[in-house]
Amino acid sequence: MNMNILSLFLKKPQVLQVYNPDPAFESAGLLLKKEIKWVFGKSIAIREVDCGSDNAAEIELANLSAPHYDVERFGITFVASPRHADVLAVTGVVTHAMKEALLKTYEATPDPKFVIAIGDDACTGGIYQGSYAVVGPVDAVIPVDLKIPGNPPTPVAILEGLLGLMRSAKKG
Amino acid sequence: MTNLHTHSLGLLLPSEWMIGEDEVTVSYRVSGDRIVEIAQTLLAFESRLVWIVCTEAEKQEGYTLWYVFELQGLKKFVVLVLDTSNPISLAALYPAASRFERAISDGFGIQFSDSLDKRRLFLHEPYPEDFHPMKKNYKNAPIIPSSHPVLYEFRSMEGSALYQVPVGPVHAGIIEPGHFRFTVIGESILNLEIRLGYLHRGIEKLAEGCSIEKGVQIAESVSGDESVAHACCYAQAVEDVLSCVIPPRALYLRALLLELERSWSLLSDLAGMVTDVAFSAAASRFLILRETLQRTCERLTGSRFLKGFVMIGGVRHDIPEEILREVHEVIAYVLDELKQILAWTLSIPSVIDRFSTTGVVREPLVDPLALSGPIARASGRALDVRCDHPYGLYKLYPIKPVTRMTGDVLGRFELKGEEIITSLSYIDDLVTRMPGGPVWTEYQAKDGYAYAAVESPRGRTLCFVKIIDGSLDRFALSTASFCNWMALEHAVLGNIVPDFPLINKSMNLSYAGTDL
Repeated sequence: MNMNILSLFLKKPQVLQVYNPDPAFESAGLLLKKEIKWVFGKSIAIREVDCGSDNAAEIELANLSAPHYDVERFGITFVASPRHADVLAVTGVVTHAMKEALLKTYEATPDPKFVIAIGDDACTGGIYQGSYAVVGPVDAVIPVDLKIPGNPPTPVAILEGLLGLMRSAKKG
Repeated sequence: MTNLHTHSLGLLLPSEWMIGEDEVTVSYRVSGDRIVEIAQTLLAFESRLVWIVCTEAEKQEGYTLWYVFELQGLKKFVVLVLDTSNPISLAALYPAASRFERAISDGFGIQFSDSLDKRRLFLHEPYPEDFHPMKKNYKNAPIIPSSHPVLYEFRSMEGSALYQVPVGPVHAGIIEPGHFRFTVIGESILNLEIRLGYLHRGIEKLAEGCSIEKGVQIAESVSGDESVAHACCYAQAVEDVLSCVIPPRALYLRALLLELERSWSLLSDLAGMVTDVAFSAAASRFLILRETLQRTCERLTGSRFLKGFVMIGGVRHDIPEEILREVHEVIAYVLDELKQILAWTLSIPSVIDRFSTTGVVREPLVDPLALSGPIARASGRALDVRCDHPYGLYKLYPIKPVTRMTGDVLGRFELKGEEIITSLSYIDDLVTRMPGGPVWTEYQAKDGYAYAAVESPRGRTLCFVKIIDGSLDRFALSTASFCNWMALEHAVLGNIVPDFPLINKSMNLSYAGTDL
């Protein structure tokens, strides 16, 4: 083995505190990895659209890429443009001001595409039902393939939702 | 801190004008022809116009405007109450007034004379032109979008070397929607205009007629990462109306949650800032700490965002001692790790190169734009509601404001790091001396109105409630972000476009909290 003798004098790398992975999350992730391989070949690309959320769902979605979850190892990436996306993750009740932007984002996403509604407000309209400022839940504007309820849904719930989406896509 | 009537302000506002006093405000009724003159004199007292609330007048036709001023060294906010239907704009004296006035024009259809900007604020093109949702005679119902929309006019700039960069409302990252219109000359930003309102969900109208208990849920849903601050602010205002004194243990638990929320919220800001200068190793370590705190939140309250825990009269349930002891251990770990990462990050030259002198908010902007929170403190102003207008536990155990003088991204980074350390140390102290007893108290329904103020992770949050027949007649909430967005428009000038994401992240303002 080639090794630089001098490296013996280097300080040992610091070992950071190890945390325990969440077993429910890990098993859902590994199953999802298999399903994604079946349906999409290698990976899926998700584009997030906030149409009226309170930012909590965005924080949880961004969390999926943070070290405790790190979903890229399961083949899930978040992309900057809808043109690169397989899945649109829509959060929040759709406001009048965001309706047009949501439609344009949907049209810019290439087929085949899936739409998931994330959070209670996106699924049903939640507390905003009947407000003058909202068009309605996401499925009032674009077709929705899967709803993940929660206020906001936890990272595990989002991953399990994606697993369900891949399974139904396989059947369909 | 001086008492109001011994303060020289007593000469300007005689005590017979006083119409009410609550925990955080003193109100004076003034006449329409005096308001400009009084506002002008108040400028001499180092005052800031922090909010304008509008309500419909109770008996006669017309509207009541509540101008909320914050004066240097005065514990209570001074509220000038004005009955009028054709007010004069104060934007020339207090620039922060402009956007408050536009919001009122949208909501109630009142026009401010001499106003510098008459464009609509939160009502976008789909809303018909004569649509004013906050009027009492308008019943909340789905609308038919306007078929002849009036297009919003951005400020125009002309010149052969100028070009514009429009960004949003859908951004590249996983963030909220908003539109940024840059005018750029060469590489540097000549002008930035921010247009928000995409997340306008009609929250203030939605709260009308709701029970006071339901109001907590509505306040929580204003902005997800400030839910405790907003819920507490609303609960404090309602409890003030009901003359309800919450038990000591509930006071401690609320303070615990407020500081925990501040800590995890600011940790994401730190992670975001280092991500934007491509130092992802530190970002990952900050995010590990953030997740650790969010899991602690879940352990304490069942919600990773601490939702549903604050109630009128206290908190939903007690937290057992053994879980509080766990908090103590978690904090020791987070504090130790955080100090290491901060020291490490600040020892990297490429980080300092990007952070230092980038996105400067100059101190003279703080008063005219009514800036607050970490942005004001990083620019050398020790403004903190917890110290200036103490509430809850901060009355018993004061907290010291942290400041930095530079006003740049580096200043905000260092400041936020230190604020997390201060917050966590505060929590660590308070869990060891938490008293026993109940965490909720009963209350009697009562009518009236009151203000409350809370320091959220982003700064000054104000809430106004008016209760009639036991239900909400008017609910209004002003978040720190509403005013602080203007700081961003100024901070980016002269910077290069690629530094915009970094400057934006260093402020991390709430879109949902501005649009309501």
